[in-house]
Amino acid sequence: MRIALSALVGCILAAGASFGAVQLTNASQKDPVIKPLYNYGSR
Amino acid sequence: MRARFPGRLPGGSGRHLAAALTGLGLGLLAIGPGLAPGFVLSYDMVFVPDPAFTRLTFGLTGTVPRHVPSDVFVTALGSVLPADVGQKLVLLAIFVMACASAASLVPSDRTVPRLAAGVCYAWNPFVAERLLLGQWALLLGYAALPWVVGAAARTGERGGGRRLLLRLLPAAIGGFAALAVSGTAALVVAVLSGRALAERVRAGARVAGALALLSLPWLVPGLLRPGGVPEDGAGVEAFAARADTPFGTLGSLLMLGGVWNGETVPRGYGTPVMAALWLAVVVVALAAHWRWVREPGQVAAAGAGFSVAALGAVAAPVLAGLIGLWAGFAVFRDGQQFVAPLAVVVAVGLGAAADRAMDARLPVVAAGAVLVPVLLLPTLAWGAAGDLRAVRYPDAWTRARQIVAADEAPGDVLVLPWAAYRGYPWNHDRRVLEPLPRFLHHRRVIMNDAVRVGGTTVAPEDPRAVRIEKAAPLTAVTLREEGVRFVVVDATAEVPGARVPGTAPEGLVEVLRSRDLALYRVEGPVTAYDDRVPVVPVVLAWIVVSVGILWLIVAPRTTL
Repeated sequence: MRIALSALVGCILAAGASFGAVQLTNASQKDPVIKPLYNYGSR
Repeated sequence: MRARFPGRLPGGSGRHLAAALTGLGLGLLAIGPGLAPGFVLSYDMVFVPDPAFTRLTFGLTGTVPRHVPSDVFVTALGSVLPADVGQKLVLLAIFVMACASAASLVPSDRTVPRLAAGVCYAWNPFVAERLLLGQWALLLGYAALPWVVGAAARTGERGGGRRLLLRLLPAAIGGFAALAVSGTAALVVAVLSGRALAERVRAGARVAGALALLSLPWLVPGLLRPGGVPEDGAGVEAFAARADTPFGTLGSLLMLGGVWNGETVPRGYGTPVMAALWLAVVVVALAAHWRWVREPGQVAAAGAGFSVAALGAVAAPVLAGLIGLWAGFAVFRDGQQFVAPLAVVVAVGLGAAADRAMDARLPVVAAGAVLVPVLLLPTLAWGAAGDLRAVRYPDAWTRARQIVAADEAPGDVLVLPWAAYRGYPWNHDRRVLEPLPRFLHHRRVIMNDAVRVGGTTVAPEDPRAVRIEKAAPLTAVTLREEGVRFVVVDATAEVPGARVPGTAPEGLVEVLRSRDLALYRVEGPVTAYDDRVPVVPVVLAWIVVSVGILWLIVAPRTTL
């Protein structure tokens, strides 16, 4: 039971942390792949 | 540790179900906005509505058949399901299989340690970077790799060859790269699993036989294509592993990252604190594997994969020389994909560590092992922080498809601007491999398949693209001579340094113009080209593979 509760609380914390981190990075960074348009990528 | 199942899949469907459901949850969390109606288009991930079986699908157009047989699988799926639904199922299946397969290798019958391994294997930098790079076919093989490793350890047993071949099927669907990664690992594990020399040779031969059979769909058209096997070594440095953490290239590879493309690293990954924590987790997992799992085959496969992964970064001239000797070594160019077996060891090791924590009555530590991969890589969540979003193809594309299909005159389609990758506004400017060859499936589509990575250009491989470049600057006359009936312009910007202008030449008839695409028709009869791959050997290859797999499925007592 303790394990299940730990896992549940952890899942909620992980989801919250993920969501928060995503919002933070979205707010602070621009999409790095906007330009140039035709490259496969850069190192 | 309660029980050991060396190389075996422990019984108990409940435990498999828990891991599979956890994988499904991870998949839903990772794909996020990509689950909306429409297609996720990112780098090499190209899915189109209403896919059709064409010569391109089977690698018969003369291009390098890297998309075979994954395109066949997608097209078959698209014939029974809406194509965008099929794409989502494939992406979710990767997470489900990855979690379930890694969990099955943990030598414990407890659920939490198995989930720790499953979560670690399904949620790590390797998965994130390859997903952002759109390499779903490679990930399909990656997802089943723990099953392959488990089956390879028992190749010498009765029915071992059959078992291995069936577990290699996801990698076989993935195609060339996926099969190379899984095949290399399987070979190492199988050879090391035997006791006597004869046993090792027999196991190795069985793996080689399975790989040869499953490779036929892309091997035959690849060998028969008019241009032969390409051997451009220019991409060795461009595709070599690179550091995406403060711990250098080798450290980054050890942490299961290090993809060549700096733009497909998940946001926030590689910051010193997070990277150091993840490195600590990896080191603990490796130590736990060494101490409590003790599977030399797995360790050897991981070591071999790591060496291959590092080759392009630490000894680029050696790899370039190997490719010069035999073009097949080009599979090692994008070496980072070969750290996949190391991910198996890290995941199983983390599971073993969690099991020990349970033994020591530290359930919170064990639960922490389940969660730590997600906590340290949170930006894989929600479509990798919003980078993987579902979009719909513009209406103009559908209209262009109808016009091209309705035209009865022969001839091919030329795509401009002259580049392989695009950043469409309707795809949020995210780069994607030109989808038109699959979208306009009624005709052969010619595009520039040269790949530009930063300032490096890997030469085009399609013989028709090479001819078009030589014929530039293009006119209506040269287009007719090159067998082109339609020209599509699906972006407005010029490609820097391209030999072929990005706009349609004078003298063509504009048949469609919209914000997203312009379609031109070349008037008059065009020259017919027959640079295709012979069909009969390819059909025979498919028959051999299909019959072989079917036979192994319906004849369970057969040994390979």
